[in-house]
Formats: sequence, C-alpha cells, structure tokens
Amino acid sequence: MPDLQKLYDAVLEGDQKTAVAVTQEALAAGCAPMELITKYMVPAMDEVGRRFECEEYFVPELLLSARAMKGSLVLLRPLLAESGVQPAGRVAIGTVKGDLHDIGKNLVASLLEGGGFEVIDLGADVAPEKFISAVKERGANIVALSALLTVTMPAMRTTIDALKQAGVRDQVKVMVGGAPVTPQFATEIGADGYSDNASAAVGLARSFVRPE
Amino acid sequence: MQAARKRLLDTLSHRTPDRIPIDFGGSAVTGVHVSCVAALRDHFGLERRPVMVHEPYQMLGLIEDDLRVAMGLDVTGVFPRKTMFGFANTLWREWDFRGLTVLVSNEFRTTVEPSGDILIYPEGDLSAPPSGRMPLGSAFFDTIVRQPEIVENELNAEDNCEEFSLIEDEDLAHFKSSAETAQASGCGVLATFGGTAFGDIALVPAPFLKNPKGIRDIAEWYMSTASRQDYVHKIFERQCEVGIANLARIHAAIGDAVDAVFLCGTDFGTQTSQFCSVKTLRNLWFPYYKAVNDWVHANTTWKCFKHSCGSVEKFLETFIEAGFDIINPVQCSAAGMDPKSLKSKYGDRLVFWGGGVDTQKTLPFGTPEQVRGEVLGRCEVFGTGGGFVFDSIHNIQAGTPVENIVAMLNAVHEFNGVTIYA
Repeated sequence: MPDLQKLYDAVLEGDQKTAVAVTQEALAAGCAPMELITKYMVPAMDEVGRRFECEEYFVPELLLSARAMKGSLVLLRPLLAESGVQPAGRVAIGTVKGDLHDIGKNLVASLLEGGGFEVIDLGADVAPEKFISAVKERGANIVALSALLTVTMPAMRTTIDALKQAGVRDQVKVMVGGAPVTPQFATEIGADGYSDNASAAVGLARSFVRPE
Repeated sequence: MQAARKRLLDTLSHRTPDRIPIDFGGSAVTGVHVSCVAALRDHFGLERRPVMVHEPYQMLGLIEDDLRVAMGLDVTGVFPRKTMFGFANTLWREWDFRGLTVLVSNEFRTTVEPSGDILIYPEGDLSAPPSGRMPLGSAFFDTIVRQPEIVENELNAEDNCEEFSLIEDEDLAHFKSSAETAQASGCGVLATFGGTAFGDIALVPAPFLKNPKGIRDIAEWYMSTASRQDYVHKIFERQCEVGIANLARIHAAIGDAVDAVFLCGTDFGTQTSQFCSVKTLRNLWFPYYKAVNDWVHANTTWKCFKHSCGSVEKFLETFIEAGFDIINPVQCSAAGMDPKSLKSKYGDRLVFWGGGVDTQKTLPFGTPEQVRGEVLGRCEVFGTGGGFVFDSIHNIQAGTPVENIVAMLNAVHEFNGVTIYA
C-alpha cells in the first residue's frame, strides 16, 4: 500500500508527476477511488484554497496544484463513473459570449473539480445556447459565468435572460465573477451569487448544493 | 501659465505644477479605444475623418494634435515602429471596423470566420497561423496562444528570447523622428521603446512572431514563474542585457528628448491580491528592474514608468527600491489601493500616473455627475504637491459614453481652474 499522504502532499505542492504516480499505485493496491478523492485530494485542494486566501499561495501555485489534481482525476474519473458515485453538484462553467479570457474561469473550474463537483467546462466566448444545452442535456444544476471586459459584462445578463426564456432558470443556481463584476451587478442581472476569487467560488457553489 | 512639457517635468520632479497635467493617448496603457476617439472628434466638432488605429491589439485610436488641444492634454507619445502584431504602421488604408470606418496599416491583415470573429496575422502574413482573435461582441483582439508541445528536459530559454535582439537602424530612425515630432508639440513626452517588459503576459504569447517557440501559453508561463524559475531567470538575463544595449543606442540617437519611458507593463495585481509574493518579486524581477532603471538614471534624464494593474500596494516599496519613478494605472478599486493611503505613504517618492477615474465601473456605467464627483475627489487627493498625472485607470474602453469622457475632462479642467473650451 503506498503512502497516501504523498498524494495529499503532491496536490498541495503542485507536483503532477508524483500525484499521478501515487494514484496509479493506490489503484493498483485496490484503494477506492472515492476515498482517494475525499480523504486526500479534496482536503489538499481545500488547503490550497486556504493558502490562496491568506496569500501564501498565488495564481501560479493554484495552477500547479490544479494541474496535479487533474492528473489524478484523469485516472479516477472513469472509475467513479463506473461505480455510479454522484458528484457534489454539476457545474456548467464558461466565459461569456465575446470574451476570450479564461484564466480566472479555468481556476474556478479546477478548484470546483477539486472540491468534488463535476465540471462541464464550456470554454470561452460561450453563447447562451450552450449553457442552456448543458442544463437541459447534461443536468447541470449550477451555471458559472465569467467575464473580464466591461464590454462583455452585458452578456452575463443576456445569458441569464436566455436561461429564463428556455424555462430552465429555476433548475439552476447562477454564479458570476470576473474582474469588473461586482456584487451589485450580480444582483442587478438576477444572479444567485458572486465571488471575487476562485477559492471563495467553491464555498459559494457548496452553499448552493447544501441541504437546507 | 506653464507650457505643457514644463508642467509634466515639474510633476515628475514632485514640484507643484501650475495645474495637473493630463495624459490620454501617450502610451498603450493610457490610451483611448478608437471608437471613443471617433466619438470625441465628433463631440468637439473636429474634421470628420477616419481615426488611425495605431495600436491594433487593443484597437487604440491615435489622438492627433487637433483633438489633443480640444481635450486639453499635456502629454504625447513616442511609440515603437512595429505594433503588437509585428507589422509597421505604414500606408494607412480604410477598414470597416464593424460599422465604423477607421484607418489601419496596410499590413493589418485579417480574415473573418463564419462566426463573425475576426482573425489577425503576425507581420501581416496571411500564410502564417493567426495570432489574434476578436470575437463577435468584443472590440479588442486577444492573442491566440500557439504553444508547441513542452518537453520538460528539452526546454531551452533561448527559444523564449527570439524577440530580444538589437534594434534595427530603421527603428532608431523611427524613434529619432518620432521624438523630434513629439518634442516639437510642446507637450511632455512619454516614450515606449519596448524590450524591457519582463514577463508581460500580453507579450508572452508573442503575437508579433510567426512561429513562437518556448513557453508561450499563459497558464504555463504563470506556473513557470513558480516552478521553472531558473528558466525564467535565463530569459530575463538575456532580455536585460539586450534591453539596456538598446536603450543606450536609442539614447545616443534621441538624447533627452523624451521625459518618461514606459519600461514595463507586467501586471502583478489581481482585483484582490497579487500574482506572486513580494519574495518572488524580489527574487525573480527585482535584479533586472534595478539594472535597467539604474542604467536609465545614470545615463539619461528619463523617468522610469512602471505599469501594473490590480492590487499592488505591497509591491510599491520594491518598485521604488528598484528605481521606478512612476506607477500606472493606480487601480484604486483593487484591494489595498485606497487613494489617500497611497498618496500619504508613497506620494513623495512615486508619481501616480493614473487613478483618475475607474474604467471598470464609473466611467463606462456611471452618470456624468458620478464621473465628475470621482474625478474631483481623485484630483484633490493625488494632486496635492505634484506627483500626479491625470489619466483614467488604464485605457478608455469601447462602449464608454462620450458624455462621461467629456464630464471627466471637464472635471479635471474645473479642478485645474481653467477653461479649455466652451
């Protein structure tokens, strides 16, 4: 049996090579995929988020940890699907139409994935119809919208309006973020939540799926 | 009344000028979107003619002499011969920018995708892979990342140094003639020579190169600043050596005809934090910044201009120690960037070139009265004792109502106690 603490450390330190190697060893030794995720990877990503919030970690470290975690998840995801394990929630995430900036969106997507969510990453410059399809056809229960430019912020409102017109707005929680976006703007356009950083976005998504 | 250049020089020396100098259009970080330049020309009743897109990446419009006078500006710019997409601004021709006729370089070559996205090509070469994309619904180009596969043990820092070479005689001649024209305007002069922007994320993908090698992906670059610091040091060492050699050649050609030099636009701040720790800044960037700034101070009268968006208050001491004289764009909306606190802590050592009004909220979305209120407040705080060049927080973005831009200008003129126009 490999030392699974090494998986925690590898994710925390952004060491993709070790994270993948330990995951492979653990699977070969018969460890349950869900246990690797919940006992080692999610806590590691939570610690990454904590360090980010108290400015011990910055964007580069966040990206490295996310990459290490993703390396392991590539191995674990097919096994989870086979065993029918349900994710914490299913998030359709994208940068809105007209906007190609995706660093922030990618960080949020990675941290959500690390937080146990299934992430449907629709990419950048995403038309409202694609979010609607993700809700209707893939069962997303959270829609996460990102924008960096003042000229593309209105596309957030357009997307939310399109969700309403498609009759799926009530099926999802909508969260928004991005440099020029404010809590006031989020309220104005009818979003359910706003986050000003990737780590806090995970907490926000968790609050959406927490049983009342 | 002082001449514009004297006004800027007093400001840069922390002497109280007769009034706060104003810059719009002096650089690619203090510019105005071409659509707004066109709207301003209309507002001021200037000759109706297409505006030149002198910086195609951000679609910045050239502010010509007549508009500069109408706006009451004090600064003009000297720009590199080649644009972000690697072509020179030569042989202007008309281009239909989604309904607005503008002037672009003859080498500004684009194609339109079925989606309506516009693709632009490095060096105007349509046979090369495109290096920029403007989506339908946007008003700016973004770089297209062309990242060759990374094989860790085959990475060679030289691959990331293709763009750092001694400038050509044609560039020197361009700088000389541009500096002479700028000086003849009577304005203060902000120059951009290029080559000393260590790790500027806009430049990492090298939209000006046809076939960039090395680390060109944005996320990969950010990770490299933490995980491949030796590699990054090698790039910066080479860049620093070439950059100083070029500054020496340029200075030999133009002397002290320019007043400030925009040396580095690397963004270190996000809305709420920084992209690295102060320790990493000091380890990875500081030695090169210090070498460049020390050279400038030892050999020229130029002032060293640093641009960094976001929350960078924690970096300002290091910037000052590294020899920067000027900070831009002073993003007061970011964490820790309170105007009063910045002015009291750093105002005697740093010139604030920017911070005049928020371009993420107030200027594009506020009322003219809100714009006026914010501008007057910023002038009050930053203007005391000199050391403040009025400029919005980064470029004026597409979609900004011209009434708000005019309200901003009127407010600065009101604060300055001058009447520029009726």
